Amino acid sequence: MRWHRQILLVAVLFGAVICRAGTANDYFKVGLEMSGAGQLPEAAMAFEKSAQMQPASGTLVNLGIAEWRRGRAGAAILAWEKARWIDPFDSRAGADLKFARTAAQVDEPELKWFETASTWLPPNAWAWLAGASLWLAVGLLVLPGIFRRRKAGWHSPLAALAFGIFLFTLTANVGVVSRTQIGFVLKKNAPLLLTPTRTGEVISTLTAGEPARQLRSRGNFLFIRTQTESGWIGRDAFGLVGD
Amino acid sequence: MLAFALAVGRAQLSTRIPPGAAAQFMVPQPAVDNSPPENILATAEFDPPVVRPGEKTFYRVTITATENSIKWPDKIPAPPELRLGAVARGQLTQPDGMPFHPVSGFVYEITALALGHFVVSNFVVQVGGSSVEVPPASVDVDGHGVTLPARKLSLEVSETNLFFGQPFRVRVILPAAPGNQIEALRDVQFNGDALLADRLATRRSVETVNRGGQLMPAFIFETAATPLVTGRLNISAQGFTAGSEFGGPVVISGPVMFPSGPPKYVLLVSDWVGLNVRPLPSEGQRPGFTGAIGKFLADRPQLSTNRIHVGEPVHLKFAFHGQGDLTRFVPPELPRTSDWQVIADNPPDNGFTLIPLTDEIQATPAIPFSCFDPSAAKYVDLTIPSLPVTVVGEDLPLQLAASDDEAGSAAPLKLSGLALMPGKTVASLKPLQLRGWFVGVQLVPVMVFFALWQWDRRRRFLEAHPEIVRRRQARRALRYERRQLKIAVEAGDSAAFVSHAADAMRIAVAPQYPANPVALVGGDVLAQFDDAARHGPAGVTVRKIFAAADEQFSIGAKGRADLLALHFEVDAVLLELEEKL
Repeated sequence: MRWHRQILLVAVLFGAVICRAGTANDYFKVGLEMSGAGQLPEAAMAFEKSAQMQPASGTLVNLGIAEWRRGRAGAAILAWEKARWIDPFDSRAGADLKFARTAAQVDEPELKWFETASTWLPPNAWAWLAGASLWLAVGLLVLPGIFRRRKAGWHSPLAALAFGIFLFTLTANVGVVSRTQIGFVLKKNAPLLLTPTRTGEVISTLTAGEPARQLRSRGNFLFIRTQTESGWIGRDAFGLVGD
Repeated sequence: MLAFALAVGRAQLSTRIPPGAAAQFMVPQPAVDNSPPENILATAEFDPPVVRPGEKTFYRVTITATENSIKWPDKIPAPPELRLGAVARGQLTQPDGMPFHPVSGFVYEITALALGHFVVSNFVVQVGGSSVEVPPASVDVDGHGVTLPARKLSLEVSETNLFFGQPFRVRVILPAAPGNQIEALRDVQFNGDALLADRLATRRSVETVNRGGQLMPAFIFETAATPLVTGRLNISAQGFTAGSEFGGPVVISGPVMFPSGPPKYVLLVSDWVGLNVRPLPSEGQRPGFTGAIGKFLADRPQLSTNRIHVGEPVHLKFAFHGQGDLTRFVPPELPRTSDWQVIADNPPDNGFTLIPLTDEIQATPAIPFSCFDPSAAKYVDLTIPSLPVTVVGEDLPLQLAASDDEAGSAAPLKLSGLALMPGKTVASLKPLQLRGWFVGVQLVPVMVFFALWQWDRRRRFLEAHPEIVRRRQARRALRYERRQLKIAVEAGDSAAFVSHAADAMRIAVAPQYPANPVALVGGDVLAQFDDAARHGPAGVTVRKIFAAADEQFSIGAKGRADLLALHFEVDAVLLELEEKL
């Protein structure tokens, strides 16, 4: 009976995952149809729902294209950055980002060296790689003794290599966590405020798609630092890549 | 209904406006009579001049001067047999010829208390610093004479039970004079407590009215009024008769006669009418209440288009209709929103021009509005609902000119095409590094390594203490043999019983030597008992079992039954041996 229950539970979970993926695919198809028909707001909405249900690089590339064509540069750049967050090897997202930044005259976010390193692989890959390399090194050092096997000559070099990889992935993982605070201005001429209030003094206005780092938050406002200045911005005018 | 407008009045004379002052005047104004005060005339009369005791008559004084310049006395020299009511006063700007003549009227409602001929003697009033004599006037109070009714106005209101701020219709009726001649009524005023009369939404008409069962034509002045205090209010109306000087458009129904000759300006008053004004209830008030009181219905709002660009105006039209007075209808207030710029239409149009300021908008703002229904005595929600719109953002380039790429940015010249497949997916954009369960997963290898370490320690310990392993194995084998013993007893199989009992005893004592159980004999088992047990029942049982095991094929049927009867003793022996393991 216990086995039957476990099988049933696994089947239900698997079915839920399949259904979720199916609905996300339905929205993706609707988005494609709407884009073909020129109904860009509806297409963007469909792609956004699909991405909310199951984030996918292709979906986000299409969302960015729909947003760009309907005139929302900030939302488009954020969508393409998310696509590259999922799949750093997605060439379309990278090309569209370059095109958009050239057209909108906005800069790329300035990354530190460990953040640059973290872009070489998907964020989750760094996490798994760190875990696997650490335990591989530990296993190579410990398991032969436990199982009373003689240590082979390759055990120690492999353990050292795994440990080295682990140390490197630590920096990449720090870069991944650090990059989660990078976001992009969504609205055109979004005001950067001196205080986190509606009536706060406007320091300057930001361009849609301009990168910034979120440092802290208060109520409906986020304190961000752009490449030139710092200030408060409304939550609705700023989107983080890792959200 | 025959409707026409009478444009009454003299033709405007051409007026020369002095240079430099032209901007001061929008309309040429007639000159004002600034003749010396000695030309001011005063008249006095009773209307009617003959009344019965208890009947009312009006004592009316007319002075050709402005009302403000007349210092009217608090008391007039009236005999005590005439009871004076409150004085009503008014001023007429008489447009009769040039220059402009002011006429002021003072009216007392007088009740005659006794028979006789009564005179209000002449008296002097101060007019602009000069003395003007008001001539005497007399009234006859005759118990048998024929009297004419006093000429006065009738005041009718559409509602007498009102709420604060509720507009209601007021009709001032001037019945036809003798001979069915209709006279115009000018400079109508309302006397009473805090009543706001609308001077713009007025209507003048001549209609047939029923007075005391008799149909007669009457001049009707109609307007809207609004009470501005609560409680019991009394209002009355007053106005000057003006002959055929209607002074504006008049709607006439049926045949009428107008008086000929110059008009006679007589100040008439009406009786007082009582109103009961209640305050608006504070509970149940809904947002957007601008003071609209009545029974209103809202049409579905209409949007000129539902697909617009940022900064492109769209017109939201809405309409209200109902039984209330729409002349004092206050439309909804401008909604305050940061996403829309809202501009109200110029009255009397109802609507807003909406300009989207962002492309985040998906609907027009809901515009709260409500009215108070006096018949149901409750507030009614008439909020204009939000309507879905699609706001398209600014146009961004879909292709870059080749010259844009001179800086060598290596940027593509156009956007990529749409992806036909969703591509690589993740469960969430939040990285594993920030998820709690991933940290939990990292504990799994830790636990595995810990378990392996514990296992290795135990293994090394057992290697150092093999007796523990032997005893554990003996106990396990002993449990097996006891189950077999039970099966043999239940099956009545004495041979199996004896065999398993002997094996169990050997297994139970084997770790004590240590030795292989197969190599042990009954004596080895007995050696594990002390002397008392060895010569007691346990020793007897062991000997019997081992003897039977050696001779089991030569035992008869009775002997086999006796052996099966030993299973309690065998259990006791095995328990004792097991305790020593």
